[in-house]
Order: sequence, then structure tokens, then C-alpha cells
Amino acid sequence: MILTINGKEHRIDVDPKMPLLWVLRDILNMTGTKYGCGVAACGACTVHVDGQPTRSCLYPVSSAEGKEIITVEGLEAGHLSAVQQAWIKHQVPQCGYCQSGMIMATEALLNEIPNPTDADIDRRITNICRCGTYQRIRAAIKEAAQLRMQEVLSEVQETEAS
Amino acid sequence: MKRRAFIITGGIIGGGFLVGVGGLLHVNRKIAQYSGQGMGAGTSLNAFVRIGPGNAIILAVSKTEMGQGVYTALPQLIAEELEVEMSQIQVVHPQPEGPYANLFMAHEEPRDAFGDLTMMQKVFAYVPSIITGGSTSVRDDYDHLRVVGAMAREMLLSAAAKKWGVDRAICQAEKGKIINKDTGEQLTYGELAPEAVQEEAPKNPPLKKHTEFKLVGKSVPRLDVPEKVNGRAVFGLDVRPENMKFAVIRHPSEVAGKIVSINNQKAVESLPGVISVVQIDEGVAVVADTTWHARNGSDALQLKEETSKHVDAIPKLKAALKGDPAKIWEDQGDIEKVLSESDQVLESSYEVPYLAHACMEPLNCTVLITGDHAEAWTGNQSSTFIINGVSEGAGISKDKIICHTTYLGGGFGRRGETDFVLEAAKVAKHFPGVPIQLVYTREEDMRNDTYRPAVVAQLTAGLDENNITGWKKKVGTQGALAGLFARNIPMMPMSPEDDPSSTEGMRELPYQMEAAYTDLSTVDLPMTVGTWRSVGHSQNAFFTECFMDECAHALGKDPYELRREMLVESPRHAAVLDKLAEISNWKVDPDPGVFRGLAIHESFGSIVGEVAEIRLDGKKIKADKVYCVIDCGRTVNPAIIESQMQSGIVYGLTAALFGEIQVKDGKIVQSNFPNYKMVTMKSMPEVVTHIMDVDEYPGGVGEPGTPPIAPAVVNAIFAATGERIRSLPLSKHGYIS
Repeated sequence: MILTINGKEHRIDVDPKMPLLWVLRDILNMTGTKYGCGVAACGACTVHVDGQPTRSCLYPVSSAEGKEIITVEGLEAGHLSAVQQAWIKHQVPQCGYCQSGMIMATEALLNEIPNPTDADIDRRITNICRCGTYQRIRAAIKEAAQLRMQEVLSEVQETEAS
Repeated sequence: MKRRAFIITGGIIGGGFLVGVGGLLHVNRKIAQYSGQGMGAGTSLNAFVRIGPGNAIILAVSKTEMGQGVYTALPQLIAEELEVEMSQIQVVHPQPEGPYANLFMAHEEPRDAFGDLTMMQKVFAYVPSIITGGSTSVRDDYDHLRVVGAMAREMLLSAAAKKWGVDRAICQAEKGKIINKDTGEQLTYGELAPEAVQEEAPKNPPLKKHTEFKLVGKSVPRLDVPEKVNGRAVFGLDVRPENMKFAVIRHPSEVAGKIVSINNQKAVESLPGVISVVQIDEGVAVVADTTWHARNGSDALQLKEETSKHVDAIPKLKAALKGDPAKIWEDQGDIEKVLSESDQVLESSYEVPYLAHACMEPLNCTVLITGDHAEAWTGNQSSTFIINGVSEGAGISKDKIICHTTYLGGGFGRRGETDFVLEAAKVAKHFPGVPIQLVYTREEDMRNDTYRPAVVAQLTAGLDENNITGWKKKVGTQGALAGLFARNIPMMPMSPEDDPSSTEGMRELPYQMEAAYTDLSTVDLPMTVGTWRSVGHSQNAFFTECFMDECAHALGKDPYELRREMLVESPRHAAVLDKLAEISNWKVDPDPGVFRGLAIHESFGSIVGEVAEIRLDGKKIKADKVYCVIDCGRTVNPAIIESQMQSGIVYGLTAALFGEIQVKDGKIVQSNFPNYKMVTMKSMPEVVTHIMDVDEYPGGVGEPGTPPIAPAVVNAIFAATGERIRSLPLSKHGYIS
């Protein structure tokens, strides 16, 4: 089976029922994606599969074949993503264990809703953080939305200038 | 604030430990001479400061990072005096050796930075206990690490002066360099380290005044955040030593149960990916190529078990309260006389359930046994305990064990235990040369916790026309700290009636009364209990601060006004309460539909007051906002303190709303987040934190935010409905979030 993860192809030989989480962590040693509950309740294992936020602990690897998988390790394209920058600016992480999943869920939220309301955030970010970083997460999501819009704006300006 | 004897209670002296220790050890000297083993390449100027290649400043932080920010706050203390930039710093967690012992734990007093250690501190250094807990990190290190940084700085200054052949007075330490103020010449610490290490460490290096601090007291960014946003932070479950195999353990399905035999060992061992099934005293582990294969094997196990007969704790605890107490913990004034002479007597019974820690990272430990050596990788709150656990589990001498401490995916008291370590070592013993990563599935984690004990309390108040004349407080519980000690510090046994945590926050309250009395009844129950964020305070603040509201109501007084009157002799408490009233606009009625409750509580050397603003839609409850005021003395990093207040509040709010571990037919009912609910984004209140500016020795911040939130919310429900709730969680009373 060939998996495309963060733009790179990985040839693996595994049980097709094996959840993507364990392929990432235990076969490919990509440990940024976390195990928290194993029942898709906490969101620590969130990755993107063809752009969709996916709780990888219950997601069979066979379903991911031929699709674009993005994990937290794949967010940096030369520089930190707007969400990661906002996370640093607002000093969100405490223990940090849930934050890969929080960040992946937020990236997906902003891909779909560029300027989310509090209600959008409440509805879409259902991940669990035991340290209680929610307040800073909310502030960071709003900051990231602004950063992303600025990035788009400056790209447009650069295109126009050239 | 009173600093209370904490751990001295009980057996350390009786255990004969002091024999041979007295006077042999001068730990300050040891810190100066210590080699900094295990801190990588470079030159150690003392046990905490190593100058690495490329002018890297490698600091030993002897407390572990579980989210509370010690990998930033403690380096701030060293960097302040060492004169280095935060960006130069690399943090390592050292091996559990003498200089790194948590001495504050010994008797709740900071070590004397310039003097000698007390006998108790020497004992703790001699038998090093590296412990992160009890909100002691900054309290243990606030003076000490500044001295450590200053000692190294002075050595670097002396070395530079000799090299240049100039007077020391024209040398200045700045940003990791020594500068010649006359010539402008510079030498980096890296260039000076080989000579500096030859210099004698000064015993009394000059320290800055608090007003001169550049880093301490400032919200500098956390050093651990960058690697926590890109997936690179390594937690226990993320270690991948070569050739590692994965193990998932099944414990007995009943509390205090026992697995007798495995009915289908061969069948499970023939499952794909499964290597072996290993039975140990504590359970059955399936070792496999991946966690998933190990879990599948574990799920397939058919076990023959001995059943236990578990009796519900609360009725037993309530019965115990009716008998003679095991110990009287407070007896000030004549409580019976005061109660009998009161105009009115108010009596209430309270109870709280067992709680799980539910750290986001399920418990795990990786152990490699090679010949007579062992290595362990795990996030822990005590590497001392970890090494004990590996030693016991694998039969390996402690001096041949290395503990690699990773980040903790939450600790909250749970990672000060060693059950998961002992088990990993026992399993790894079967696989010499092969690292074994043993993990508790979420279900195993939740069902094999060292739970916050269930606790019952009976409070009786004497009231006259205007005041509370006395409080009689009776507590019934198992003893959280006694449990932890029995398991992890067997040389310091503590019987449950001597467990100070059971009545902490219940006795010696700051409220002025004619009489105050607290006693403790204990019951031996099969549930395993331990320390849970804020320990005894987690429930005792709920009891006392709700009961204070009951008294206010009975006296027809405002909850703030009554507390304020009773805190006249406690100016720091009164100041917190006044600031809380100010920022929450307490004296002005809230918006229609908004109801408020207030609580104030001292724990771990800090005072925290909280006002919860709630809305109710029938039984649907939403905490919109929490105002929080903390007096933790001098601050190290206010942004981290603010995040710890938010964190403590969420932890306590989760427990108040939903938290309950139940036992049915001997089995733990809850197993995973769907049935052990958590506060999430939508139920998170906005927390407004104010940190008091108080020039006193620092208090703790990791735990003190937790105790006041449950009573604040419950008092708000009373304000809204007149319903007085005396047991938790609120979900039991029909409230939904």
C-alpha cells in the first residue's frame, strides 16, 4: 500500500484495517499525532485526509490510500503556518499533548470558515484539553484567521505587482 | 501566612534514617562541585549550569514539565543572575541525584540560600527525592536557583579578569558574555568556561534586589512552546529506541481483583503481530509489533478472574463519621460550649465522589533491560520513584538504572506513581535487550487510577445574631497522601489518620471564630487513592466555602460581606477578597439572568478567590465568566500564572460538573471520555485573572486555582435557584452543560 503523507509517498505493508494513527506512530515513527482515547472522542489524533479533519484512531489505513494525508509535521512549508504562529503568540500549549490535534482541527476549520464566529469555534473545535487551554485557543484561532487573511492579501498584492 | 509542617508527620525519624547522616553532607558544596553528569557535552560550572558547545547554556531543571511552565520559570531564575538570554538556554532534566532533591517538600520552608541546610533538608538531599508536585517548584527553587546562577556568573567574571589581567570590577556579565568595560573586549561564556571551572565557587555571591530583576516577574515566552506546535515535543509515548516492541496491559476487571489464569494464551499469541503474552502479578501484557496489535491481543484475552466484593464507599464513610474520630486535627477554643451557647446551630452534610486524573497522555513507560543495567523513558513527577519502580520490577540495582524524563502529557498527581513503571519493568525483564513500551489504553488508564478519594464531611456552625461563633468540622476519607506514601516511600509510612492532606483546607482557616474544631475518620477501602490536583483542598474548599455561604444566608448577610468581616485578622486574604469584589463588580447587581457565586481559599502558599457568573436555562448550566484573583507573593512569570489559573479552573469545573468515578458490581463504571465527560470549548468560561502585587516569598500556582471553582459555581446555583447542593457532581442533580 502506498500512502501520501505530507506530500511524500510511503510504501507500507500493513493490515488494511489498522487505524491510520498507529501506522503513523508505530510503523512510520511520526509521533506528532497523538493517541488520547482510541474512540474518536478527544481529537488528539486529528489529521487531514483530502482536507477533511479526521480522527485517525478509528480511521482504517485502507481508506486513506490514494488520498492526501497531512499531519502536524507537514504544516510548515518553509515557515510556520498562521495557526502555529498564532499558537506561539498566544502561548497556548501547556502540557502540549492535545495541541497537535487542536492545531489540525483549527487548520481545517479555517480552511472551511476563514473568519469563524465563537459559535463556529464552539461547534467545530470539540477536542479535549485537560490543561484547559481553551481560552487561549479561542484567541489564537481568531488571530490565525486574521493572519491568514493578511497572507492572502499580500499574495494578491505580490501577484498584482508582478 | 502560616507554613505548616507537611511531611514530617510520621515515620522518617522513627525509621532510623538520620543515623549516619548528621553533618556529613553539605549540599551547597555538593552543588558547586557536582559534575553535571548526563548533561551532554560542555563544561559544568555547578550542578545546574553547563556551558555547552557554541555558547549554549544548558540548565538542569530538576522539576518536570507537565504544562505548568517550570521549563521556563525555573530557567528564568538562573538566567536572571547568570546574565544569559532565554534564547540561549537548553533545558535538561537531570538524573535523580542529591543536588536536585526537592527540599521544600521536606518541611514547606525554602532552603536558606546562603546558610546551611536544616537536618530534614539534608536527609532529603542524602536520599534524593526528585519530586514535582505539591505546587512546590518555584517555592523550592526561587532563592536557590538565583544563587546557582550567581555562583556561575562570579566564576566566569573571575576567569575573564585573570585572562585579561584586569581588575574584576571592570568586568561585566551580559547576555552570555563577559565584557571589559574599559576596552570593550568580549569573551563568551563558552570561551571562558574551561578556565571558569577552575575558579572557586563563591559561597555568598551577590544577588540582585527584586527591583532590579530583568527576567523574573516578566511574562517571557515559554521555552517549550515552539516544539509543542510542530509535533516535535517528545512525550513518553513518543520515544522510539531501536527495536522497540509495544505492550498493552490488562488489569483485573474488578477493583482489588485478581487474574488467576489466561484461558487462551496460545490463541492470542498466534494473532497477527503478537509476539508474546506475559502474565505478571498486576495483570496480563500482550507484547506485539505495534500498539494496535498489542491492543487487539489484549482485547482478545479470555481471563479467569477472582472476583472481589466491593462495597460502596460513601455509606461506609458516613457510618465512620458517626463513630469516634481517628484523630482530632484542630481544637481551638471550646467548640461544644460555643455551639451550645449559640443562638442558632446550622448543620450540613457534604460528599464528593472518587475522581480520575484522566491525563491526556495515557500512562506509559518504556523500559530496556540489558544485563544488569536498565533504562526507562517516561514522563514522571518523580524520577526517584521511577528508579525505585524499575528496580523493584526488574530486580536491578538502583545505581544501574537511568531514567530519561520526557515531557508529561499531563500529570495532576498521577505521574508521581509507579504502577505503570513497575509493570513495564516486569514485562521488559522477559525481553532482555529489547525496549518495551508499555501503555495503558484509555480504558485501562481510567479504570486503574489512583483516584481522588471519595470524601464525606459534616459541618456544624454556631451562629449568634450577626456572626459565626464556631465551626465543628468532621471529615471521613481514606487518605490520599497516605496512599501515595505507602506505595512510593515505604520508608516513610503514614497511617491514614496522620495524613495531613485529608483535612488540609478544612482546618486552620483564616476566618476568625471563637472556636474551631476538625476531626478525621478513616476507613480502609479497596479503592486505590492518591493525590489529585490540589489534593485535600480539592474537596475541602467545596465543603467550607459552600458552608460559609449557608451561614451567610442563615445570618441574612451578603456572602462577600460575611467573609470580609471574618477576615479582619488576615490582611492578605482580605485584600484578595476586596480585589475580587472590585473586578467582578460584586456590589452591583449582575445582568438579569446572570447569577454569581463566590469562594476564596488558601492552598499551597497562595490565596485564590473566584467569582463564577452562571446562566441557567432550566437545568442547563453555563458558566459564562470566572473572575479570579491570586496572591502568590512574588511572581516569576505572570503569563504562566494566568494560564495556570485558567487550567486549575477548568480542571475543577470539569469535576464539579461531571466528575464521578462509580463502582458497580466491583467494576469501575467509567472507561473513556464519552462517559467521563470533560469541559470543552463550548463549556469553557471566560476567565479574568488578576495577580496581586505582593512582596512576599512566592506561593504555588499549579494547584491553587482549582479548589475555589466548585464552591463558586455551586454558590451561584444557590443564588439562582435557592437549591443548596451539597454533593458533586452537578450532573447527579440533573444539571447538564
